[in-house]
Amino acid sequence: MTDAYLRATGVSRTFGDVTALADVSVEIPGGSVVALIGPNGSGKTTLLRILCGLLSPSDGDVSYEGPPATRPLGYLPQAPTFRPGYTTAETAAFYARLVDDDPTELLERVGLGAVPDRPVEALSGGMTRLLGIAQALAGDPPVMALDEPASGLDPVMSRRVFDILEALADGGRAVVVTSHDLPLVERAADRIVVLDRGSVVVADTPAALRERTGGPLHETFTSLVEADDTVSIRTEATR
Amino acid sequence: MTRRFDAFWAVFAREVRGAARSRTYLLLGFALTLVVFGLAQAGDGPSAGYIPTVVDVLLVVEVLVPAVAFAVGYRSIADDEIRGTLDVLATYPLPPWVYVAGVYAGRAVALLSVVLVPLVVLGAVVAVSAGPATTVFATHRGVDSPLLYVRFLALTAAFACTALAIAVAISALADSRRRAILLALVGLLVVVVGADVTVLRALTGGLVDADLGILLGLSPASAYRGLVFETVLYVAFSERAGFVSVPVAGIGLLGWSVASLLVATLAIMGRRA
Repeated sequence: MTDAYLRATGVSRTFGDVTALADVSVEIPGGSVVALIGPNGSGKTTLLRILCGLLSPSDGDVSYEGPPATRPLGYLPQAPTFRPGYTTAETAAFYARLVDDDPTELLERVGLGAVPDRPVEALSGGMTRLLGIAQALAGDPPVMALDEPASGLDPVMSRRVFDILEALADGGRAVVVTSHDLPLVERAADRIVVLDRGSVVVADTPAALRERTGGPLHETFTSLVEADDTVSIRTEATR
Repeated sequence: MTRRFDAFWAVFAREVRGAARSRTYLLLGFALTLVVFGLAQAGDGPSAGYIPTVVDVLLVVEVLVPAVAFAVGYRSIADDEIRGTLDVLATYPLPPWVYVAGVYAGRAVALLSVVLVPLVVLGAVVAVSAGPATTVFATHRGVDSPLLYVRFLALTAAFACTALAIAVAISALADSRRRAILLALVGLLVVVVGADVTVLRALTGGLVDADLGILLGLSPASAYRGLVFETVLYVAFSERAGFVSVPVAGIGLLGWSVASLLVATLAIMGRRA
């Protein structure tokens, strides 16, 4: 593991009188996958958006400390949607042109090289997600931030997505990902940050977290977070 | 600078390509063609010359052009917001003003194609059907000329671009398709009649003590109408029409455009809050 590429220090975020994040500090080192997990409404997406600079923190700060880059950070939203009427290649070309990248290579890297002429509206959910990852890779950003990249995908496609994330980290990138797919997180993540009610409950390696209960990660997860009705309220407020 | 131009061009090309593939724009152009030709034929303008034709279609153009501009622009930025594309683009070296300029320029190409093609064809019909009184140069009052019609086309293009800028600003302020439609309807009413009514109310209510020609120049529709009267239809009057102050009307249209694009840029920049 190398130095932090992205660092959040004492980050808080409120929406009106709802506190979505409270004094959260995390760092995303290069060459590793950091997974943000937690119940719905725990603040994962809010934290990811703040890390990406898409949302301002109410308090604290986020700093990029990675290598100089044209595009420091690539982002995959939770449900990537592309403008209909364009093909896969045209969509990749649009994003590639913004950072002078090669769209064909981007598609090849995520396994969409065989469907360049397919309209984006004809792509399956998994392929749309892969196109989203291709977009996030444009410009070769040192940090990749992905919001639930495997949600709604079948197990094979989910595994493929996480394989790509692992490969990106092996290539030296800092990868931060939110997910509810604990088995995949356990397999792919180098470090797991457990959030609950806007605060970091624990941040450790998958092995260390497993040791807490002696069982699989979901047992540790269940023991760490509290089920509460306020969760759903927070979910609405943080979107 | 090159990177910014490349980024602008990428956004611009995406908009133009999308418009070229859209049947909606084709339908809009077809509908506009039917309306202007129907009106011109009803008024028998084409056989009388360019100026009578402009008189025939001016009122409808004044209403339909902003309507088409809003149809072209009301979802221009809102759709990118709804799809999450704005979030993604925020991670690229694409300044908001470059994005707005690219969207605006691309949609302007589509809009001008829809608006100007029917009017240019109408002008061609006038050219082959007008009487002998029509000459190339209007050397004195009362003389018709295709150059006056070209001036009408240029003013119509400027008015269309102003209305589009307002539509793009409204689109940037909308965070859902429903809100985009509602705001666009409000914006259209403001452009077509709202600003005029406000000016007249201010004058009749004694709220302001200013020249009517100057105040009307501040309203987009009045500015356009006034410029057409002052620089195209003036040949039909024995004296200056005095409908609007030409410099104020020109600055008015430009000001609405610049201010609207600035609002759109600020709206996108403010999304992080």
